[in-house]
Amino acid sequence: MAEILQQLINALLLGCTYTLIAIGFNLFFGALNVVHFSHGDVCILGAFMTLILYELAKFLGVVTFLPGFLFVPLLIIVAMILTGLIGTFFERVVIRPFRYAPLLMVLVATVALGMVIRETVRLSFPHGSNPQIFPRILPQASFEWGGVLLRADNMIIFGTTLFLISMMFLFIKRTRIGAAIRAVSQDSEAAAMMGINIDRTVAATFLIGSALGAIAGILIGAYNNIIRFDMGLMGGVKGFSAAVVGGLGNVYGAIIGGLILGVVETFAAAFIPGGTPYTDVFAFLVVIFFLVFKPSGILGEKVYEKV
Amino acid sequence: MLPRTIGRAILLLSVEAFFFILFAAFMKTYDTGKVIAFLLFFIGVGVMFRKLDRARLALTDLFKEMKIVAGAGFVLMLLTLPFIFQSSPYLVHICVMAGLFAILALGLNFQLGSTNVVNFATAASYGIGAYASALLAVHFHISFWLGLVVGGSLASLFGLLLGIPCMKTKDYYLSLVTIAFGLIVYILLVNFSWTGGPNGIPNIPPPSLFGHSFKDPLSLFGYQLPFQSNYYYLIFVLVGGSIFVANRLHHSRVGLTWNAIREDEIAARCHGIDVTWYKILAFCIDAFFGGVAGTVYAHYIGFISPENFAFIVSVVVVTMVILGGMDNVFGVIIGAILLTILPEKFRAFEDFRVLIYGVIVVTMLMFRPQGLFPQKMRIYKK
Repeated sequence: MAEILQQLINALLLGCTYTLIAIGFNLFFGALNVVHFSHGDVCILGAFMTLILYELAKFLGVVTFLPGFLFVPLLIIVAMILTGLIGTFFERVVIRPFRYAPLLMVLVATVALGMVIRETVRLSFPHGSNPQIFPRILPQASFEWGGVLLRADNMIIFGTTLFLISMMFLFIKRTRIGAAIRAVSQDSEAAAMMGINIDRTVAATFLIGSALGAIAGILIGAYNNIIRFDMGLMGGVKGFSAAVVGGLGNVYGAIIGGLILGVVETFAAAFIPGGTPYTDVFAFLVVIFFLVFKPSGILGEKVYEKV
Repeated sequence: MLPRTIGRAILLLSVEAFFFILFAAFMKTYDTGKVIAFLLFFIGVGVMFRKLDRARLALTDLFKEMKIVAGAGFVLMLLTLPFIFQSSPYLVHICVMAGLFAILALGLNFQLGSTNVVNFATAASYGIGAYASALLAVHFHISFWLGLVVGGSLASLFGLLLGIPCMKTKDYYLSLVTIAFGLIVYILLVNFSWTGGPNGIPNIPPPSLFGHSFKDPLSLFGYQLPFQSNYYYLIFVLVGGSIFVANRLHHSRVGLTWNAIREDEIAARCHGIDVTWYKILAFCIDAFFGGVAGTVYAHYIGFISPENFAFIVSVVVVTMVILGGMDNVFGVIIGAILLTILPEKFRAFEDFRVLIYGVIVVTMLMFRPQGLFPQKMRIYKK
């Protein structure tokens, strides 16, 4: 029992990461009807940004006079904002020119953009092909409770994710920009006629999505203690898979999809003998299963193509 | 009349020979500065050609008038390439690799170019062909020639498997399926013990033909050619066959149907086209080409590991098709050749290779989405 509970906690953590990435995919798909295939790389960029900022802060000596409980949130917020801006920049430079182009072009362009991001990260770090050690910015304490090991950093990660996701839902439900985002995702032409600035709304979408993605990157870094330039490829594919399983375009679906993928991967690793190297295979098989039998995902509406 | 024809044929052949010698000289330069000078010259010729309408029309007329002479001359010149590069096997090796990638790109072109199906699993079919034939050769001593067929067919079967989810999915979803399939194949190759895991398969025997092993130097007309020349001629034949198949398919009902699906899938369906079947056909043919290329690669290098079939290979092949020109057989081959030779010529910038590939794709899509050589208008004679 304790074993299953322990694995459920792990699954929840992994699910959080996927959910955060998948929310980005859903926001972008809602706003622009594009899949930003390099979103996973933007997320890992968030982790690298944190690493750079951390080293910079250490170099400047900020660590010495700022207590940890102030310094770490500040670090993460700055990294989030910077990643969000980078995401907006990519939208402006790589995705916007293809707004009225065939779908294939933006697809291939974003895959290529992911390659450019990965290689830029690899080349700008000394020994960039090797994993980089991610700073232990979270407290490392752990305690046992009924045979289940709880790590303090994991609890903080989980709490932060829940907080951020609920903040984002509130933002989308309650604010003007949130209403604009919802309007654009329902019908962008009608929204434009109502006087909504599409460009600015799309930029806001990418800012939010990329900033949340940065948290996902930091989670991956904090969980594994290392980050590598090419983690974004797998992260992006998994995040997109989670979005598809939940229903592409539906922000709530991201949570369900992320959790399903997290559970499948963790339980495949834990309970199938010799299954550890094949966790990704199981995850992808689930995704392909969903694509074949329920392409609209769990919460997605069935879309009928209009001629 | 006859002297005029002969004169024009000589003119044509000398134009071809001039460019061929330029190409050979370009291949033989190793100095980065000279390579750049050559490239600038080629670009200059291309720009001139575009600007000078009369010269272009005259030349295209000349080529159209004597298609057979032009083709024969071109083939003959390509056949002499190993003799020119006799002393530097490395150059022959580059040509072999360019040929392999040309086959891969031609295969992908059926999907990406003709049908607008973005397939990121080229590396998977390439790898399946390579592993199938390598395993057969190492464990069961099955000859390369049989392996070529088996590798191609197995890869084709994989293409069919990959095509099944595409019955229900399209666009982004379809690309997700292909990426997932590619990653699954890669993970399985790394983790299975019978494929050698991350260490791959060493000591794959070379093919032999009429008792002549492809590992031995080739002697032709009293010349000793490096052993790579064997593969050069093999690849030459295979690329020739691929071009023939690709051209026939393009000009047939099938090619036209693929184009119809590309332009508007719903309209194609309304005209009674079985969209699913034609898409799966594209998957199978692409995978067959990939499998054949993989088989040749495995026996040529003699060692394969999962790293040779990673996701990046698929993206490189996509880059070749987009750079060359979608659904233009000639353009796709030029794209493959350019993207194989240029990285070798700029060895100093080896580290930036993948970055440059990515930048090429994004800029090409933005500024010249039809590629260097756009698809030609289909002309039907009465």
